[in-house]
Amino acid sequence: MIDPITLSVVRSGLEQICNEMDQHLIRSSMSPIISETNDCAHGIYDPRNGETIAQGAVGLPVFLANMQFAVQSVLAEANASGGFRPGEVWILNEVYRGGTHLNDVNLVAPVFVDGELFALIASTGHWMDIGGNAPGGWNPEATEIHQEGIVIPPVRLWEDGKRNDALVAMIIANVRLPRDMLGDLVAMSSAVQMGERRLRELVDRYSQATLGECLVELVERSERQMRAHIAEIPDGVYAYSDTIDNDGVVDEPLRIAVEVTVAGDSMSIDFSGTSAAARGPLNLAANSTISTCYVALKHIYPDVPINGGTFRPATVHVPAGTVTAAEYPRPVSGYLEVANRVFDVMLGALAQAIPELVPAAPFGTIGVVTVGGVHPETGRYYVGVFPYPGGYGATGSGDGLVNGTPPISMANFVALEASEHRYPLMFEYFALRENSGGAGHFRGGDGTTYKIVPRAPLVISVMGDRHDSVPFGLNGGGPALANELTLELHGEEWIPAMRTKLAKQEIGPGDSLTASSPGGGGHGDPLTRPLELVEQDLNFGYITAESAEEQFGVAIAQRWSVGGHDRFRLDPERSEQLRAARGATALTAGTH
Amino acid sequence: MSTLVGVDVGGTFTDLFQPGVNGGPPLVVKVPSRPDDPSLAVMDALVAAGVDPTQLIQFLHGTTIATNALIERRGARCALLTTRGFRDVLELGRRDRPHIYGLSGKHQPLVPRDRRWEITERIDYRGKVLIPLDEDGVCELAAALLEEDVATVIVSYLHSYVNAAHEDRTRELLVDVNPDWHVVTSSSVLREYYEFERTSTAVIQGYLQPLVTNYAANLVARLQEWGFAQDALIMQSNGGLIPATRAGERAGHMLRSGPAAGVIAAAQIAQRAGFDRVITGDMGGTSFDVAISLDGRPSEAETTLLDFRLPVRVPMLDVRTIGAGGGSIASVDLGGILTVGPRSAGSYPGPIAFGRGGTEPTVTDANVVLGRINPDRSIGAEGQKLDIDGARRAFAKLGEQLGLDAESAARAVLTVVNTRMAGEIRLITVEQGHDPRDFAFVAFGGGGPLHGAALMREMQLGSMLVPPSPGVLCAMGCVVADVRHDLSRTVERTLPRPGAGAEGRLDVSELTAMFAAQRTEGEHQLALDNLDFASVEVQHFADMAYTGQIHRLRVHVSGDADAESLREAFIAKYRTEYGTELGDLDVVIVNARTVVTGRRDTDSALPPAGGGEVPEPLGSRRVCFEEWIETPVYSRADLRPGCQLDGPLVIDQPDTTVIIEPDMHVRVDDASNLIVSQP
Repeated sequence: MIDPITLSVVRSGLEQICNEMDQHLIRSSMSPIISETNDCAHGIYDPRNGETIAQGAVGLPVFLANMQFAVQSVLAEANASGGFRPGEVWILNEVYRGGTHLNDVNLVAPVFVDGELFALIASTGHWMDIGGNAPGGWNPEATEIHQEGIVIPPVRLWEDGKRNDALVAMIIANVRLPRDMLGDLVAMSSAVQMGERRLRELVDRYSQATLGECLVELVERSERQMRAHIAEIPDGVYAYSDTIDNDGVVDEPLRIAVEVTVAGDSMSIDFSGTSAAARGPLNLAANSTISTCYVALKHIYPDVPINGGTFRPATVHVPAGTVTAAEYPRPVSGYLEVANRVFDVMLGALAQAIPELVPAAPFGTIGVVTVGGVHPETGRYYVGVFPYPGGYGATGSGDGLVNGTPPISMANFVALEASEHRYPLMFEYFALRENSGGAGHFRGGDGTTYKIVPRAPLVISVMGDRHDSVPFGLNGGGPALANELTLELHGEEWIPAMRTKLAKQEIGPGDSLTASSPGGGGHGDPLTRPLELVEQDLNFGYITAESAEEQFGVAIAQRWSVGGHDRFRLDPERSEQLRAARGATALTAGTH
Repeated sequence: MSTLVGVDVGGTFTDLFQPGVNGGPPLVVKVPSRPDDPSLAVMDALVAAGVDPTQLIQFLHGTTIATNALIERRGARCALLTTRGFRDVLELGRRDRPHIYGLSGKHQPLVPRDRRWEITERIDYRGKVLIPLDEDGVCELAAALLEEDVATVIVSYLHSYVNAAHEDRTRELLVDVNPDWHVVTSSSVLREYYEFERTSTAVIQGYLQPLVTNYAANLVARLQEWGFAQDALIMQSNGGLIPATRAGERAGHMLRSGPAAGVIAAAQIAQRAGFDRVITGDMGGTSFDVAISLDGRPSEAETTLLDFRLPVRVPMLDVRTIGAGGGSIASVDLGGILTVGPRSAGSYPGPIAFGRGGTEPTVTDANVVLGRINPDRSIGAEGQKLDIDGARRAFAKLGEQLGLDAESAARAVLTVVNTRMAGEIRLITVEQGHDPRDFAFVAFGGGGPLHGAALMREMQLGSMLVPPSPGVLCAMGCVVADVRHDLSRTVERTLPRPGAGAEGRLDVSELTAMFAAQRTEGEHQLALDNLDFASVEVQHFADMAYTGQIHRLRVHVSGDADAESLREAFIAKYRTEYGTELGDLDVVIVNARTVVTGRRDTDSALPPAGGGEVPEPLGSRRVCFEEWIETPVYSRADLRPGCQLDGPLVIDQPDTTVIIEPDMHVRVDDASNLIVSQP
């Protein structure tokens, strides 16, 4: 058996390599979505089965298991064409073979030690544009993948240490920001090549045999650790379902249903009962569905290191033909909305089994607002992306986070001042959205609301969700407010037909777009929230007086204003009486 | 007999360093810190050292007061005024979460929402006023604020970095209403874009300003009472000093006062010893702080995240901290893997061996069990001895879970903690485009010299330097540092290029003028400091990026550089950092920066040379390396310049223990540094 010291050292050595690749790409990429919002990931993979060996610390969670599937596709393709050779780097973005959406481009490189294939290294980065008929790639009206951009199957980008410039030219000619995307391609290649060098150094140091033993051991230990957690979950079948507003093309809700069965130290997750594949772009490839389930487990048990063993105890069944198992030529650019809902139903199901570990639903939409056009000052094409920030669900031990990044992401919101420099638009406000978190003993975190005003004509697209079906609370906690998207066009207020989705709308000076994101669900009965916290919520303007009275059952004794802010004092005695009366009513109602 | 002293106030101890007088050894004093009033410990140290106030020409000081106030949320009650529509920028941050995995955790903004107000005004990204400042609104609000019991009012408007008129006018109006308020405008703190980071920085400044102002005044008064009539100098996060009377207005620059002093001292000592590229490692009770320095200059970070959603964007020495110190606790995780830290036993209850109630094995305990720390060393004032048996029992228990005996478990703990430290060293060097093997390591802090040799081996570093007083290096750093002012301003314009239209591009003469203005301002600030300088140094930098990139590189440039040389300098730096360049893409000047440094004459502060022969060891003890070896033990005081020794050996000194591994060689240089090398 491998000694515990070497094991621990090798584990941090591998993670370190991935961290270095993350940093390298973040610092040198051209796409703000990578450099500013860390929309990338790096990992090291087993060359026999493509399973994850190690991943970087800042990589996007949704890429967590997904990259493993991308690596497996490349592995199959390489094996079918003579196997990997030294000096190769492969590229792919094909969704149905391990991709997510076309903008996420994967590079995979073999690492040879003494002429023998030792490991695979992969880099995923989100390119700002990948062609298709909407700038930035989020096209809510797409009905087949070819409208979403250029499809790159697993192919060799580098051979014998030489880049295939014909292939590069072909790809770059099909995207909107050719120079920037070429910069990203160079940066990603350089990141995997650096990772390859560093891995080779680690092998030199510990020998291939020792390292190989460590890898087997690490995978087994992660599996054991996850099994130990699952064994603590009471055995049973836990089902939950929720819906997506529409697919952007057909205005009908899509249902995501999950049934989680826990038996001993294993878990099976089944998406039977989920709606059939969508005509619009709200489809999720099966590998991404599986990956999202893993992200949910990892959020609940963050201590288990990620590798091929981590998720072996959980098997996922994704029925073919559903919205969670996209097949060619289904469009997928709205995949993140489906992934969010998959994440939510996992929480909803597991909350029944382990309520102390699971938060209420987060805001549940990536809600990307994409702007594009030719900048009047530079004459150059630009694409800007503003994802929704929203609130997190409350837990059994605290309020939810305000303005979080989606749990399946780590991406940040770009600075407003920098955006006003880069794009011909202005923000009229960017604010916490009052009352948007669900009521509860612990409140859901609040979402945000912002208004964009163009300074020049531009084309705006929105891909969001959670208007018709809102983020749920748990254990008596209330739901969050719905996502609201409002435009002002030629002086008139206008709400898009699909509420949360909008394709390539031209807007100009005098018009505006307002996006208000949901908060997170509440946790526990709001009538038990401590009065001093309700008073503080009121004074901070997190909740309105009406909500305090109706949802939290308090009586306001005094209200005054300081410099335009309302200030409140509660009447504790009357509040207790009111709450007692409502509690009694509920109890009485329950006995009939 | 004039002299100077440096005093560093840390969380546990307050250290004093006085350079040797007339070729004598330096004076080093450690007294317990007094968290209730840190200046009391400063006075304790001065009295304990027997410093004569009438002979003292300069008092130099590092302090954790700002950091502690922030961590414990003990700063001022503040109000924040923002552009209408943007009062929540401070609370919303940039859409993130505390940890990549796990969905709990909250953020408490330093100014809660009920004390953030909006003012009608708007300036665009070019500095053009779109909506004039509502002066009546400011006055009305100011009147209301009188009833709100706030000590500081912070003003942060959008795009104020390009046009500060509205912020400046608001300040005037506020001061008219109440001259006692500390008023902080965001543009006076940071002349750069990124509204959240600038607002956060201004809020941190405003939150700390009253406290730091009071502390500095209090300290100066106590020193005066004691008989020292001059201004004290305080260390800033950028490694430069500032007069204590001006510390309040720079409160946001005090957050890394102590650690910066240590890095400055380490970098200077190493440079004078002939090492141009050094990694400095300060290992204390709870953390390991790493920094790198080139040519005696520590590298800097432009933004530092102090806590979740609490960034500060002022130049700070780029000191990375990981939770790996003497008090870091060893445990076995659910997967059966040994982990060390970041949980720490701190100084209380502390390691098991200290007998203060600690029950979990720590890194210090591992060093004790392996014979690396003198078992007869007394702990604390009571003179009690180390509890070696207690520590050994804990490792036996830990070892059971790993299938190891007590000593192997202790060795495993050292290996794991050394690996974590080495990993951090690798990350900080590689991130900045360096190969760690090109660097010498400077080990300091109470634990640095215990672990330095192992890190050297792990990282394949050629040499290690252990300064004469590694345990009080921060206090020494205060003595050898310079006075420094940083100025910056956002430009955000594309460089002109031959053949491309000039429209929308930077007129480089504007940049030249900006550098000149910054130089004038910096020299003016130095004049205000009212000190004697041996020389004044002015350096200009341009933060540059390819068009569209977010991450920029800081490039040293001349104040009158033309467009072509700016572009060349950027591309050269880019190639060094990333090993590639991006062809004919345009280059943007993001920020213009100037650093004005008043150099103090500090040569006399460093230890003097002397002649030395190989001394007799004090004795020997069994120390565990790869195996147990009877190892000679020397006293540091006996090691005079010129002396050379071969490992393995142990060097005891009052403030730490130095471990030299087998096959390593140590010599004492002219400045009494230990220079350790390995084959």
